[in-house]
Amino acid sequence: MTLVAGIDVGTGAVKVAVFRVEDGQEEWLSRCTKRIRQRDPLQLSREAFDQALEDAGVAEGDLDYVATTGEGESIPFHTGHFYSMTSHARGAKFLDPETVAILDCGALHGRAMITDERGKVTNYKMTSQCASGSGQFLENIARYLGIAQDEIGNLSTQADDPEEVSSICAVLAETDVINMVSRGITAPNILKGIHLSMASRLARLLKSIGVRNDLIMMTGGLALDEGLCEAMREQLAKMRGVDATVANHPDSIYAGAIGAALWGAFRYKKLASSGQMLQAS
Amino acid sequence: MTGETTSAIVKRCEAIFDDLNFTLAREWKEAEPGRKVIAYMPVYVPRELIHAAGMLPLGIMGGGDNLEVIHGDAYYQSYICRIPRSTIELGVSGRLDFVDGMLFPSICDVIRNLSGMWKMLFPDVYAKYFDVPQTYKDEVGGVFYTNEMREFLHDLEGIAGRKITDDDIRASIEVYNDNRRAINELYALRAKQPWKAPASEAYLVIRAGLVLPVEEHTVLVREYIAAASAQERPLKDNSRVVLTGMFCEQPPLNLLKSLELSGCYIVDDDFILISRWLIGDVPTTGDPVHNLSQAFLHSSMSTAAKYEPDQEEKGQFLVRAVRETGAEGVIFASTSFCDPALLDRPILQNVLKAADIPFIAFKYAENSGQMQPIREQAGTFVDSIKLWSAA
Repeated sequence: MTLVAGIDVGTGAVKVAVFRVEDGQEEWLSRCTKRIRQRDPLQLSREAFDQALEDAGVAEGDLDYVATTGEGESIPFHTGHFYSMTSHARGAKFLDPETVAILDCGALHGRAMITDERGKVTNYKMTSQCASGSGQFLENIARYLGIAQDEIGNLSTQADDPEEVSSICAVLAETDVINMVSRGITAPNILKGIHLSMASRLARLLKSIGVRNDLIMMTGGLALDEGLCEAMREQLAKMRGVDATVANHPDSIYAGAIGAALWGAFRYKKLASSGQMLQAS
Repeated sequence: MTGETTSAIVKRCEAIFDDLNFTLAREWKEAEPGRKVIAYMPVYVPRELIHAAGMLPLGIMGGGDNLEVIHGDAYYQSYICRIPRSTIELGVSGRLDFVDGMLFPSICDVIRNLSGMWKMLFPDVYAKYFDVPQTYKDEVGGVFYTNEMREFLHDLEGIAGRKITDDDIRASIEVYNDNRRAINELYALRAKQPWKAPASEAYLVIRAGLVLPVEEHTVLVREYIAAASAQERPLKDNSRVVLTGMFCEQPPLNLLKSLELSGCYIVDDDFILISRWLIGDVPTTGDPVHNLSQAFLHSSMSTAAKYEPDQEEKGQFLVRAVRETGAEGVIFASTSFCDPALLDRPILQNVLKAADIPFIAFKYAENSGQMQPIREQAGTFVDSIKLWSAA
């Protein structure tokens, strides 16, 4: 039996997942999420980690491997770190084993990956440094419009005449939105326009890495934004030669933490089989 | 031994690293009348000869990421590496106004041109393009290099105003032998227990040796080894890598830290190569200039900074470094337009492929500030080693 924890430090939130792995069976024991909100991510990671361990009924000393991902490499008590892509791909496979492609949409950027049957990333592309494809940009827009973040998705699906926004630059897009508000465009149409703009860029990423008739699992903080998922379906449907299915999962936000934990278990077993035991520190 | 902690030693070294006015070298010079400082650029000069003349060899590795280059950009095309431009900036901004001589070792045409520019910019300062042999036969390269060193010694005697004896040189060879031994001990510690001596710390400790008198630096290196060995640090599940291609323009410190944060234990490298260029001790008996020449020809590191005439041997030095340090992969890092590194890279990569050693490659500049793409590349490389390698 292997006990492992995965800690995903994102730009907007810290996510922790604790697993027990035995004879190939992966049992998810506990989870914890904490929004960062300008607090110290390292301290929050410790708090979320302690909470998840308590919920799982596991002592820290019993863990075989503590894996970090995202921005978690500075966490002092980690055993090993996995890059976000690697973790999200594995986490998405856990959430739906049929997953072939993964679209990780977080606060800072969007990233498209395609995997083989083992969960190994075989190709990927990510949005450039421009913020207009990011959750942070969406948060800013929601603030301008005076609506709560969790209302974004629902409002977007109510749009009847989406208004296009600049898909190139967050600064220009924000200016577009201010103009739209002054022209009396409704919030649903503004939000849907933004979703379509983001989805257009993300769909191009997916096609460029070879996604065709595959199951795409949405992960990251925007995975449960139904407005974005719907916009993704619309944009992919317009693409010639692509007939992909866009899916999400109630636990999509944990994909990074899940993947890190499960890779931690895999790595622990690999090290043990070669006689290199590494204690979780 | 002073019993200093690693963090105190590293902090001291970082202060030297950050000081682009080279205060310690200035203070050394001012401490006694008549003292002289001879500066040198990467990759290799026989510092033993400068030391034997009673002078301070001062390593100039460019301006790093804290120097704003204003004048230097006017002298070179924008696609050229940054080290010649930042070195000119150091010169024209007066930061090297205490230096009595400047050596430009043979590494590439850019540095060769810089030696000419230096002579025009600072006509009153001794400047020398220090050529090293490209042919490793004793009767050709050996004779050439011995003559080159004797000519340099003659120049140094002119600057020092005194004769430099063979005994002086033999004594200096012994001092530098001891320094290399200490640095090799540090590399051995890094290869054995890389979590105890991170590359970002070791780099600063070794880099301090470009400014400090060599005797002082040897003590410093051994203090660090003692402190790092005694300090408990957690072992992480990282991958051991060899970093290569950084022998001339130096990486920003953040690059090394980023690689380590990405999960790399850097167990060998080729930065500040002058510290380890010669392998093993140079004999301290017999003709010291001949001994230095023989060491260069037959007992020096075979990196991309040195011409390797034997095609069968090409790249094997790197393969041996991987095997001896237990590394699991190689990271090629070089600067834009770096002829020696970039021309050798495909040859070395073919050798690694044949030896089944994984590798990645990227470019950097001494003032690179955006580490995200490098972290991404290094992070995924480490993941692929940890998860998918056969070991």
